[in-house]
Amino acid sequence: MELIDQAVTALPALPALTEARPTVRASDIPEGECARVVLDVPIAIFNVGGVFHAIDDTCSHQRASLSEGWLEGHLVECPLHSSCFDVRNGEVHGLPATKPVRVHQVTVIDDVIWVSSPVAAAGGES
Amino acid sequence: MTEMRALPESFRSTPAGREYTDPDHFSLEQERIFEQTWSAVARSTDLSEPGAFQTATVGRESVLIVRGNDGVLRAFLNVCRHRGALLCAEPRGQVTRKFQCPYHSWTYALDGRLIAAPNLASMHDVDRDEFGLVGVHLREWLGYVWVCLAPTPPSFEDDVLGAVADRLGGAAVIDRWQIGSLHLGHRISYDVAANWKLIIENFLECYHCATIHPELTDVIPEFADGLAAQYFVGHGASFGADVDAFTVDGSVGGAPIPDLPEEHDRRYYAVTVAPQVFINLVPDHVIFHRMTPLSADRTRVDCDWLYTQETLDSGFDLTKSVELFHRVNEQDFDACERCQVGMSSRNYRQGGVLVPGEHHIQEFHRWVSERLRRD
Repeated sequence: MELIDQAVTALPALPALTEARPTVRASDIPEGECARVVLDVPIAIFNVGGVFHAIDDTCSHQRASLSEGWLEGHLVECPLHSSCFDVRNGEVHGLPATKPVRVHQVTVIDDVIWVSSPVAAAGGES
Repeated sequence: MTEMRALPESFRSTPAGREYTDPDHFSLEQERIFEQTWSAVARSTDLSEPGAFQTATVGRESVLIVRGNDGVLRAFLNVCRHRGALLCAEPRGQVTRKFQCPYHSWTYALDGRLIAAPNLASMHDVDRDEFGLVGVHLREWLGYVWVCLAPTPPSFEDDVLGAVADRLGGAAVIDRWQIGSLHLGHRISYDVAANWKLIIENFLECYHCATIHPELTDVIPEFADGLAAQYFVGHGASFGADVDAFTVDGSVGGAPIPDLPEEHDRRYYAVTVAPQVFINLVPDHVIFHRMTPLSADRTRVDCDWLYTQETLDSGFDLTKSVELFHRVNEQDFDACERCQVGMSSRNYRQGGVLVPGEHHIQEFHRWVSERLRRD
């Protein structure tokens, strides 16, 4: 999805968002759907019941795009080998993937989804 | 076609024997007929659920037909875009979300898009739509899925609806049997060791009926005179006076198709949609044949017996209803297989002859040869 032009979107003066960048409009991602945006790396943004979650788009197993996968509840299934990841914390649920994916902090302000630097992935393994 | 021979006025010539046996001629037919025209390949209700799929042979191609999660039926060439592996080897089944090539795991959504492949995310210059499955044209009519491999298909209205309208004597006549709303009561697949043209020719004439179809001529006595329903336009062949329905012994049939006009009562109609569909219409059911040519001397015929929901719900025993045309099919296909043996005889090198009640088969032969001549 096309990124929103940063020039027309003022960054709110919130400490938590100093690293954040505007991405896409929340209203453009229906519930149960996903958008793929490219910041420093490709990122998948999911709408689960009106709450937005962002994780690395690239599966930790063999570089497939999770945004092409299928979301059920909080789990997204990789289209290539069917590993599932929890979009809230990046944890793996099901082989063949063993490593989690990184999670990105999400804040929605005036319908704009701001995505910040990755937070440490859950699960311990890296 | 054959070289000119001096024939009696009563006779017309047939194609030469080699056109029924030669693998090169068969390849030409596959290329210029079966890969250019519309083929009925599946019953739509066999693909009701999202993810339900079937594969079908059309010409020299394998075609994958699948209902998407959006409810839309689509057809694709059943070949992976990567290295050409057959994508789906099963004749039918159910997937949830994707088709994955068993060779390198190239993965396609049910709408044909390439959605994943190992390391695909590193290949930034690859357009996933461009390397999705290759689509095949698809139409639904009479409750069947029709596909056409041609990049620009011929008009479905002219070729398919037109063929039916021409035989029945009107565009909307076939609608009276509500074939799309009928339900599958029985299905039999026949593996016939005969060239597909022999099967069509056989369907078109009834000169053989008195010899090989005792049950059919008991139910429809006029067939013993040797003229098929398809000899005429809009002709319903009458049931015998003591016949209740189109069953193996003329006994009572299923619930009649609702609102079928009285003019069709106690009558049998037949329609051929060249090159591979043959439809029979009677007041309480429809028999729908689909042919798949497999080689010069082998053809699969899938035959569906379709009934009203009322008939199926009533617990009506379909046995005698199915048995009549099943016997006709077996009698016909035995005859076609017997002819296939003779096609390679030197006796048939220049072909055979058609009697007056068979002359209309030449229209089919002309239809074939016109298509083979095209470049």
